[in-house]
Amino acid sequence: MSEALTIDRRVRRLPPGRVAIIAGAAIMAIVAAAAILAPLVAPHDPYAQSMLARFRPMSAEYWLGTDQFGRDTFSRILYGLQITLWTAFASTALAMLCGTSIGILSGYYGGRVDRWLSAANDLLMSFPQMVAGIIIVALLGPGITNLIIAIAITAFPAFYRMARSAALALRERDYIDACRVLGYSDMRIISRHLLPETLDDIIIVATLWLATAVRTESSLAFIGLGAPPPAATLGGLVREGFDNLLDYPGLAIWPSLAILVVMIGLNLMGDGLRDANDPRASA
Amino acid sequence: MSVLSVDNLRTSLVIGGVEYHALREISLSVAEGETLAVVGESGCGKSMLAMSVMGLLPSVAAITMGHVTLDAVQIEAASESVMEHIRGAKIGMVFQEPMTALNPVLTVGEQIAEPLRDHLGLSKREARKAAVALMEKVRIPAAATRYNSYPHEFSGGMRQRVVIALAIACRPRLLIADEPTTALDVTVQRQILDLLDMLRTEGKMGMLLITHNLGTVAGHADRVAVMYGGDLVESATVKELFRSPAHPYSRALLASLPRVDRDLSELASIPGRVPALINMPEGCRFIDRCPHAMERCHTMPPSVAVGESQAHSVRCWLHVQGGEDAAEG
Repeated sequence: MSEALTIDRRVRRLPPGRVAIIAGAAIMAIVAAAAILAPLVAPHDPYAQSMLARFRPMSAEYWLGTDQFGRDTFSRILYGLQITLWTAFASTALAMLCGTSIGILSGYYGGRVDRWLSAANDLLMSFPQMVAGIIIVALLGPGITNLIIAIAITAFPAFYRMARSAALALRERDYIDACRVLGYSDMRIISRHLLPETLDDIIIVATLWLATAVRTESSLAFIGLGAPPPAATLGGLVREGFDNLLDYPGLAIWPSLAILVVMIGLNLMGDGLRDANDPRASA
Repeated sequence: MSVLSVDNLRTSLVIGGVEYHALREISLSVAEGETLAVVGESGCGKSMLAMSVMGLLPSVAAITMGHVTLDAVQIEAASESVMEHIRGAKIGMVFQEPMTALNPVLTVGEQIAEPLRDHLGLSKREARKAAVALMEKVRIPAAATRYNSYPHEFSGGMRQRVVIALAIACRPRLLIADEPTTALDVTVQRQILDLLDMLRTEGKMGMLLITHNLGTVAGHADRVAVMYGGDLVESATVKELFRSPAHPYSRALLASLPRVDRDLSELASIPGRVPALINMPEGCRFIDRCPHAMERCHTMPPSVAVGESQAHSVRCWLHVQGGEDAAEG
């Protein structure tokens, strides 16, 4: 009886989301380390082709085998992680920066500009991620920078909405009026009294959107709108492997698994952060 | 020398293209070190007056006539950037609700230090020192340690002290206290009012004390302005108002005060209610509730009559020379 009670209490005392955050962070730490240290860790040059080493099976030399040009799959996955993670990170950061600042200003000042921006935002939001991504990449042309911009544009509405609704709610608070009475400028009120309170939510959205950005990048790469070859990205590797799926399924499966691991890591982190930040969950 | 002078002020609201006068020709002044109480029931324009002085009217409202002069600056003509230097620095304001007037995620000390850095340009360390001194001044015990506390760790009275510290941080010329004790325990109310009195005398500030509590007026104000429906109906020293109220509304207000030396079985009240702004009578706005209403009260807004002394003025036809000789109530 007392034993059960103590265990029960210990389980309850663990903050919500803690396990998920730690697990997700651990996965992402390993993945990120592998990506950053790719030049040191990779056993082979990911771009070195060799006619003699085509379609090698898994071995001590080629851990995950080689592709149709004799390139080492494991090394290519490591380099692919690098590009994919960088693209996801850069595009999410860009979307967060623009979406949050424009969203806060829009919500704080309100008025006609706010109405127009919100309408445009809803329009952008109504497009499925992929369709919007495809259109933007098609307009901008291929290349990693354009890919980053395209993904950032598709992620923008989430941050804009979040920041705008937070600013809308917060600007009605008495202490914001008190700030005005104290003669603070709008910029001071926004940066010191509005932004810090919205930041928690923004970071959670950012973590979850990192995962979406990885998915969007991979999907775009899979249909050939990603970073142009010979660059290795996870989605690009899946696509290349797809050509020989029946004979050499590993070529598509291994990079797919890498995407899966990244997605699980980021989603665990995002969900955990959200639960930890939810006052209803921490009763 | 008067710190604040309001001269013939009219503040209007525009709703659906129609202009309504929320404040009608208000004139008053607050001298250095003096407390002027503004009394009246809800919706009489007390807060509208405070917001007009602060230059913080909602977007549908504007000052359409008259002048507001604070320490030789014309408020109604000042730009927003000028007003940002005046608010917080020249005018301090204490709110009714100390529970929500503070940012819950910043420490109390940081919040008191902020206006010092913003308006006086103090360094971080100087501001911290000055903030602790201010907290001691408003009698927050163990100020240095409480600097790092958050608002939720304070009681209502202590929070109101923090709000007061914020309001007086930059040594303003005018302190507007908008029902500063309404949300507090009765025992704390007295302490807060005494504290405000002390700070006002010491800082030679003028104080505009907005209240609907006549007890507060009697104990803590020098002069009173009685407002009704956006009109300033009577202005007098506290003594004069309590001894010989001239306007029918002031009389009714004083008559409705419960007194311990009389039968308390029924509380006196003024029948009727304040008319809505969109439905104001053309003439005197108190007409529907006034026992002395006359013919001319319906059509013409009363002009100002001077009472027994020069400092006593009334906006009522009863007291205008040549007005009908109505019975005294």
